[in-house]
Amino acid sequence: MENSSDDYRIQAFDLDTQMLLKTALKGLSVSALDELYDPSSVNLEKVSNIIMDQSLKDQVFSKEAGRICYTIVQAEAKQNNGNVFRRNLLNRLQQEFKDREETRGRSLQEWVCYVTFICNIFDYLKVNNMPMVALVHPVFDCLMRLAQPDALMNEEEVDCLVLQLHRIGEQLEKANGPRMDELFFLLRDGFLLQEGLSSMARLLLLEILEFRAGGWLLSSTAHKYYYSEIAD
Amino acid sequence: MSEWNRGKRREAHSGEHESRSHGASRWSHCRKRGIDGSLRMKKDTEGSEKRTDENGTDTRHDSFTTPESGGPVSRCGRRSDWGSQVEDEEMRRDVHRDMQRRRILGGDVTQRERRTSSGSSGSCDSREGDNMETDEAVLLRRQKQINYGKNTLAYDRYIKEVPKHMRQAGVHPKTPNKFRKYSRRSWDQQIKLWKVKLHAWDPPSEDGPDKTVDDIDELGLGDVMDIELEFPTLSDSQNAPAPISTRSLSLEDEDCMGTPVKVQKTEPTAEPDMA
Repeated sequence: MENSSDDYRIQAFDLDTQMLLKTALKGLSVSALDELYDPSSVNLEKVSNIIMDQSLKDQVFSKEAGRICYTIVQAEAKQNNGNVFRRNLLNRLQQEFKDREETRGRSLQEWVCYVTFICNIFDYLKVNNMPMVALVHPVFDCLMRLAQPDALMNEEEVDCLVLQLHRIGEQLEKANGPRMDELFFLLRDGFLLQEGLSSMARLLLLEILEFRAGGWLLSSTAHKYYYSEIAD
Repeated sequence: MSEWNRGKRREAHSGEHESRSHGASRWSHCRKRGIDGSLRMKKDTEGSEKRTDENGTDTRHDSFTTPESGGPVSRCGRRSDWGSQVEDEEMRRDVHRDMQRRRILGGDVTQRERRTSSGSSGSCDSREGDNMETDEAVLLRRQKQINYGKNTLAYDRYIKEVPKHMRQAGVHPKTPNKFRKYSRRSWDQQIKLWKVKLHAWDPPSEDGPDKTVDDIDELGLGDVMDIELEFPTLSDSQNAPAPISTRSLSLEDEDCMGTPVKVQKTEPTAEPDMA
């Protein structure tokens, strides 16, 4: 993958950022880590690719990667007003988005990781404290896909869907109310009409329906209903 | 209007009508060659619906060359990759934020004396709300031009070396004020001059032949009368480079890149010299 971007050199990240990356990227191959920690230069394009690839493999990582990306974007902006990392990350994200149906067909795990990652990015990478408008429709597209009948049959996908809605539902609704309505029509229909849903899936759907109805908050009674029952 | 003109317009109008049914671009029926250089044949499949291959991906050309543009431009004005979209969004927000600030400041600051200008642009103090440039498209374009200039090593070095309170008018480059009303030419000229001046702070590089290019003449400074008095006129600009060149004695070579780049490449290429 050697190309002209290898000529691009900036100073190495400060120690804090390095530590953050280190803890986050445990389990990467040794050579990948070396790539990152060459003190004389850090190739941000490569870093964004490493993070992207890792997010697709590791769901735990994809949940937290947003925070790391945010740190790197800030660091680059401060250092030289650059945009290389963010730009490359977003374009990778876009590429994977285009191929998402294929990814889903190949590996549910990877698909779920992707959705988790893109939602995480939406949550953390803000532009002037506002979510990135460019990501609103793609995120909705992903969630709508998860709300399709075939996806609702898989607990993995339902679980991912409700988790994301818990985290970013309110922001998404603010960004585009009508599409959120559209999504919830699907969820409601799924819950009421779809045959063959597992009871866990139905519970998750019911909870998210109530959650949104309550203004993206769960009342204490509802909380008791859902969360103490599960403990039993 | 003369009959001849009317006739021409009718012709052009019906020509347009025709072409609408053919290709995606108004002028495609006039062009002999397509964008890839191959001769155009009248294609039946060219129409308003998308041509797609088996995978369902769009096979239309991503860009057209139109008479107004210098080269291929993308199909829609908006760039379609997320990286660019987010950058554009960010720039738009920044410009709007600047506008708010400008409006707020305008109320508090005492007005400066109106400058007289011989140009038709009619200089107006941007601090008066009414006379501020507010067209978003214009502001965005200007901001982009400013960003190109600020996104250079030269600018970085300049602001580190010369703090604002030390700056002298005429000698030190000053970023053109995007909120003032200027004609397009006047603005573009100001930007050019500003960037030329910034080159004095270009970082030294190892090699580069000692070519002398008379850049000042290339800029066509005969049009300088359009520009506000705070920028050097032609006679002054002969003097202005003098302090700049004393500064550049510390540089090994006077190198000037056509396109300023933020980060220095490891293999610097030969650049033309600044006079």
